[in-house]
Amino acid sequence: MKIIVGVADMRIGKNPDDELVTYSLGSCIGLVLWDPVVKVGAMLHYMLPDSSIDAKKAAIKPYMFADKAIPQTFKEIYAYGAKKSRMKVYVVGGSQVLDNSGMFNIGKRNQMILRKMFWKNKVAVTKEEVGGTVNRTIRLQVGTGRVRLKTSGQGEVEL
Amino acid sequence: MSRIDEIVNIANHVPPFPKVALQVMKMLDDPEVKAKDLAEVIQYDAVITANLLKTCNAAYFGLSRKVSSLDDALVVLGQDILKDILMASSSAKFYKGQAGEGYSLEQGDLWKHSVATAVMAKLLSRHFDEVEPGVAFTAGLLHDIGKRFLSSFVAEDFQKIVDLAHSGEASFVEAEKEIIGMNHAELGGLILEKWGFSDDLRLAVLQHHDPDAMEKEQLTAVVTLSNTLVISLGIGVGADGLSSAVQGQGLKKFGIEARDLDIYLSEIVFELEKAEEMLSLAG
Repeated sequence: MKIIVGVADMRIGKNPDDELVTYSLGSCIGLVLWDPVVKVGAMLHYMLPDSSIDAKKAAIKPYMFADKAIPQTFKEIYAYGAKKSRMKVYVVGGSQVLDNSGMFNIGKRNQMILRKMFWKNKVAVTKEEVGGTVNRTIRLQVGTGRVRLKTSGQGEVEL
Repeated sequence: MSRIDEIVNIANHVPPFPKVALQVMKMLDDPEVKAKDLAEVIQYDAVITANLLKTCNAAYFGLSRKVSSLDDALVVLGQDILKDILMASSSAKFYKGQAGEGYSLEQGDLWKHSVATAVMAKLLSRHFDEVEPGVAFTAGLLHDIGKRFLSSFVAEDFQKIVDLAHSGEASFVEAEKEIIGMNHAELGGLILEKWGFSDDLRLAVLQHHDPDAMEKEQLTAVVTLSNTLVISLGIGVGADGLSSAVQGQGLKKFGIEARDLDIYLSEIVFELEKAEEMLSLAG
């Protein structure tokens, strides 16, 4: 079954024929986790780094902000028996418009917080496709762990 | 006929903007205008009437009771909301079908992008003392109208434009201009002129990709900022991706900091959830 992950959302795929997909990652980041043993996948589409800008919104949409969303995503997939040591981790998105002032560096800030949290918690990234000025769509086949990336103006490639 | 002439010709023969909408907008300039007089004009356009009824029950507009007839709607709606609904109901038809196909946009994407920009522009208008929220909303709805009509030209030269934009030497809009001879903002400006919109609206559409847009009229600045944020979120973004140039330092003079932008980005997601009826207009 195709499971679409919306903006500020996270979904788990646990059936072999599930496909998780999230469209149109601009400055947002798509985080994909997959455990090859239990064959469970998680896909997160977060928008912004820091929930302290609006605690009320973070309470309604915990997957909007990286600081809440990333730990929660790991927690959810661990509940299905996934283990950090064998998990495949893909990071996609975090691009931004052309601006020298840094006002619109949302993509970069979204990448930074993820790196910081991963470093602190010793999470190794299997593959990442981040930055630039492109728009990305990512898919995970839960049964096989195949991850495909489509970039605006280009075709689809396997990660 | 040269390429540019062909494009200018499109602007000259663009289907008219619904007359009823323009007429009612003019009537609404008079704060004393009667609902009965408005209804008399609006009822002649069945599509606008139907869309208006559909849209005014959207959660986005926050009405306390359900509206089922035109007369009812005109009594219940405030003038400001009526203007927004009228513009949305009238613009939607231009965004139907494969409106942005040449830009690799899926059906409905260009409209979604336009509504999101309109909603964002209205939110942001509080920082711009010379901008009326309703005008910001209209400018957001129409800022990319040029894409609708430039789409087939972009499709013809798609690979050249994309290659130039991906080379890092030009933004997508600059590549459009370089390869086709005109970009979608310029064509949009011509179309708004043809439709008889005011000069500030025409300029906001024309200049919304100018790198120094934040230094121009406030309406141009607010539309540029809204578009940039909506693009950053990837809402209704096609082959152009985030390849858009903007000078963010211009925001400081409006008292807008990076943290504010984060707040508005989070806000727009909630606002769009309430705007489903409006989003469905261009189906």
